[in-house]
Amino acid sequence: MKTKLTIVAALAAAVLAGPAVAKDYKSITIATEGAYKPWNFKDASGKLVGFEIDFAEELCKRMGIKCKIVEQAWDGIIPSLKAGKYDAIIAGMSITEKRKKVITFSRDYLAGGGSFAVMKSSPIAGLKVMVSKVNLKDISAAEQGEIDALNKALAGKTIGVQTATTHENFVRKYLSKDIKIRTYDTQENLDLDLEAGRVDAALASMNYWVPLLKTDKGKDFSLLGPHLSGGVFGDGTGSGIRKEDQKLADMMSKAITSTLKDGSCATMATKWFGYDACSQP
Amino acid sequence: MDLTILGWGDTGWGDEMFYGALMTLAVAACAYALGIAIGTGFAAMKLSGSVSLRVVADLYTTVVRGIPELLIIYLVFFGGGSVLRWVAKGIFGYGEFIDLPLFVTGMVCIGVSAGAYATEVIRGAVLAVPVGQIEAARAIGMSKSKRFWRILVPQVARYALPGLGNVWQLTLKETSLISVIGLVEIMRQATVGAGSTKEPFTFYITAFVLYLCLASLSNRGFIRAEVWANRGVRTT
Repeated sequence: MKTKLTIVAALAAAVLAGPAVAKDYKSITIATEGAYKPWNFKDASGKLVGFEIDFAEELCKRMGIKCKIVEQAWDGIIPSLKAGKYDAIIAGMSITEKRKKVITFSRDYLAGGGSFAVMKSSPIAGLKVMVSKVNLKDISAAEQGEIDALNKALAGKTIGVQTATTHENFVRKYLSKDIKIRTYDTQENLDLDLEAGRVDAALASMNYWVPLLKTDKGKDFSLLGPHLSGGVFGDGTGSGIRKEDQKLADMMSKAITSTLKDGSCATMATKWFGYDACSQP
Repeated sequence: MDLTILGWGDTGWGDEMFYGALMTLAVAACAYALGIAIGTGFAAMKLSGSVSLRVVADLYTTVVRGIPELLIIYLVFFGGGSVLRWVAKGIFGYGEFIDLPLFVTGMVCIGVSAGAYATEVIRGAVLAVPVGQIEAARAIGMSKSKRFWRILVPQVARYALPGLGNVWQLTLKETSLISVIGLVEIMRQATVGAGSTKEPFTFYITAFVLYLCLASLSNRGFIRAEVWANRGVRTT
């Protein structure tokens, strides 16, 4: 009876103890969705390509570890991470409070957020930008200057946003009261009114404007002011990692910061997105 | 709709979609076979005299038919994997990740669900065979195995085939759910293609056509099987 108890106790201890030794990250597996162009997708030969494939490979090079990139349907991407099927998610995943309850994130590498657009013929179209990226998380004096400049340029004008979006949150919080705000149910309707002159400027995500400006539909638009991100726009895109692998998350963050500092992130982003979508270092 | 993106080889998605369809068919066929085996076993349990066997079989069909298929997949794939790792780490001290084979996991999930429906179909078919025929067979001195193979099986097959055809169609469509665990079948391949080319319509229509082809071709097979099982039965 006593020996039986000892065995049970030993088993229980072994189960409860878990992995005591800190893991050495020599090789990791990274999951991506493979169906989110141009972040991560597949070419017609079935090969994974996209910004995040290039970016993940660059991160692994900088961390000095071997990486295997696998595809995983979006539906099961967090449970499979937690189950240990792979060690990190690099799949255009926004850092949110809700997700942070179950997994941890590296720092952000893509800023997300948005920008204003106006008609090329508009009198405010040529607004000078001193700081091209404004992060609302902690606003520096120079960044505040950009927001003030926007407010000055748009004073007395009407701007449009799609309703119930982070962009609406931005205009309600940061724009002065003498700017009239019109909300739209769809972005297409907003574009039509921008073209018709019913609104003087429209705020939407950079990932929407940049491809649009290259098409026939958007050829008369131009971007106005800085690329706004952070704060009400959310915390950007990061790599999702299991909470117990905080050390790996720190390694990732360090590698990400180095790609942001030396401009290699910007080069890759410009190749895939058509503009520098990267976060500030 | 630009059909060149559905070309064969490295420049098009046609081959990827085709292999996706083969995967769907393979999973569905294996899961169906498993479902029929499970269904036969549990139908026998339900019809047996033993109360405990009946309770077990009732529990199985009630639970499995009562919960969504997707939940079974999540439970088996994520839950099963965690339990397996927990056991491996706690008892054998093996802390590495144990990968459940995708194909087998998917097949088991779908098969377990198909089995619950097949159980009821087969049970109903057995009950539809008139008791008088078994009694008559016994009266002319047929052995137990002869009664089973000559009297019961051909008639059960006849009564069960339409219902089992339904179970097959259900199984075929349920395979689309296992795309969540990463098995690349029609639905997963269509999602990838749609997201990668920004041509969702082309890919979902292709998936539609592929499912319809698989369903209608197999439906023909079942009609033939039914005709065969009904040979010698007066229809009017």
